[in-house]
Amino acid sequence: MSLILEIKNAWIRYPQKNALEDVSLRVEEREMLGIFGYNGAGKSTLLKVIIGLKRLDSGSVMVHGLQLTPRALLEIRRKTAYLPQCLDTDIRMPISAWDVAMMGRYGKIGLFKRPSRSDREFVRTVLRQVDADSYANTPFGMLSGGERQRVMIAHALAQEPRLLLMDEPTNSLDLNFTRNLGNIIREAHRRLQLTSIIVSHDAEFLSEICTRILLMRDGRITRNLLPDEFRDDRLVDRHFREALQ
Amino acid sequence: MNISIINDPFMQHAILATLLAGVVCPLIGVLVVTMRLSFIGVSLAHAAFAGALLGLILGVNSAIMALIFSVIAAGILGPLADRGDFSPDTAMGVMFTSALGLSFLFLSLIPGPETEALGLLWGGVLTVTQTELGFLAGVTLVTLLTLLLFYKEVCAVLFQREIAESTGIPATTIFYGILLFCGLAITSSLNIIGGMLVFCLIINPAAAAYQLTYRLSTMFGLSVLIGVLSGWLGLIFSCIFNLPTGALIIVTSSAFFLVTITFSPKRKVHFQTIPKDGNYG
Ligand SMILES: Nc1ncnc2c1ncn2[C@@H]1O[C@H](COP(=O)(O)OP(=O)(O)OP(=O)(O)O)[C@@H](O)[C@H]1O
Ligand SMILES: [Mg+2]
Repeated sequence: MSLILEIKNAWIRYPQKNALEDVSLRVEEREMLGIFGYNGAGKSTLLKVIIGLKRLDSGSVMVHGLQLTPRALLEIRRKTAYLPQCLDTDIRMPISAWDVAMMGRYGKIGLFKRPSRSDREFVRTVLRQVDADSYANTPFGMLSGGERQRVMIAHALAQEPRLLLMDEPTNSLDLNFTRNLGNIIREAHRRLQLTSIIVSHDAEFLSEICTRILLMRDGRITRNLLPDEFRDDRLVDRHFREALQ
Repeated sequence: MNISIINDPFMQHAILATLLAGVVCPLIGVLVVTMRLSFIGVSLAHAAFAGALLGLILGVNSAIMALIFSVIAAGILGPLADRGDFSPDTAMGVMFTSALGLSFLFLSLIPGPETEALGLLWGGVLTVTQTELGFLAGVTLVTLLTLLLFYKEVCAVLFQREIAESTGIPATTIFYGILLFCGLAITSSLNIIGGMLVFCLIINPAAAAYQLTYRLSTMFGLSVLIGVLSGWLGLIFSCIFNLPTGALIIVTSSAFFLVTITFSPKRKVHFQTIPKDGNYG
């Protein structure tokens, strides 16, 4: 197994608090890593660092064997898909769900080229996978929260990434589709030899699909648990009790 | 109005100039409206106007000065809008009013008769020179080509910059490119539509088109259609009533906007509250 991500001593300092405090992390290829923790623990910040949307104050990040620098950014991003925690777009935006899903592939398609037949075929497949094909032609802004979330998941999958970062993917999803999402991610792991990092407050979801779960608190990674340990409530409880002290 | 007026070379220039301005400004307008950059755009327009006036005072080419000023304004405002961690409203307010202040200052400093300055203020379709027309045609062509070449990247940036960025699209470069093209469109149409009004031709047709469609390509098309129609109708009205063309073009485009919001299929959405379910909104 080879290393797909390595973060060393990452710090992000804000005037009020540190969003990341000396975070180090190694992720092997094909892992399905969960991240769990309180609001404000720094989970989203960590994902944004990996995709280069937030810059570290100190420390280093290596993704796909490349040091995360402005020059390597484009290449890293093309191999990495990112599902943001929240999305603000204009609800009257003249862009359809199909267009949004297709946008996931734009980096891959490259400049000056139009989506090919196989690109369209691929997008059709992922939209079907997330059960969004019935509203593919609906303007994105008209969709419900969960429908949009599905389209954004399709957007991430359409990219055919090597590394998938998902920030609260089960947000707004109904019970049924949450279960499906687990299968979809597992399937993508097999097909694309994917590695994924999933931030979620849904403990059941994480323990179901992840191979390893990190607990975060106050900008630090404080525990590194196997799914069984994570299911063991006492360990997680103790983690949060310590937080209260 | 006599129809033979069409044979007049001034009139032919005017028809061509309003056509070109009616294409390039509304095209840029679609980007400005969907990205909600109106305030940046209007600040650029006023900076360009101030620059053009300074050009008149110093006796240098006012189009070049206008472009330099709008690029400087874009260079200041771009990063502010870009930062995202604080609201750039205040900074833009300062920028906007400063540009306005400079314009008035420069207006008062212009030596000799103020006809040229008034031309900049009101716009003069009938006095457009061959060079100005060439510049406008060049800008229109380059804008069209660039938009066609980078259409899908531009769409992704319009939808959501951070997401576009994260899929490996150079969204920041595209964003600044859009501001630059906005400056170019403003500069090249400045003395046709008028310094105070040019931004209306950017925003009105696009805002009207935005009301009518949920397809981006249709929005580009409608916006240009409304822009060109406003341009030509404005020109006709100005010949009939003997009033400034730029102002009439703007009034016509505003009328289009009013009509579209009245009949917009999005009107219902317009007044709906945005769902605040914590996820999206
Ligand atoms: N631009 C910023 N300026 C100042 N503080 C920030 C900024 N961005 C994030 N923070 C702080 O960093 C901390 C971590 O934020 P982050 O979004 O990573 O939390 P999170 O673990 O994802 O929380 P949640 O579960 O609510 O999504 C928060 O306390 C937040 O206030
Ligand atoms: Mg978060």
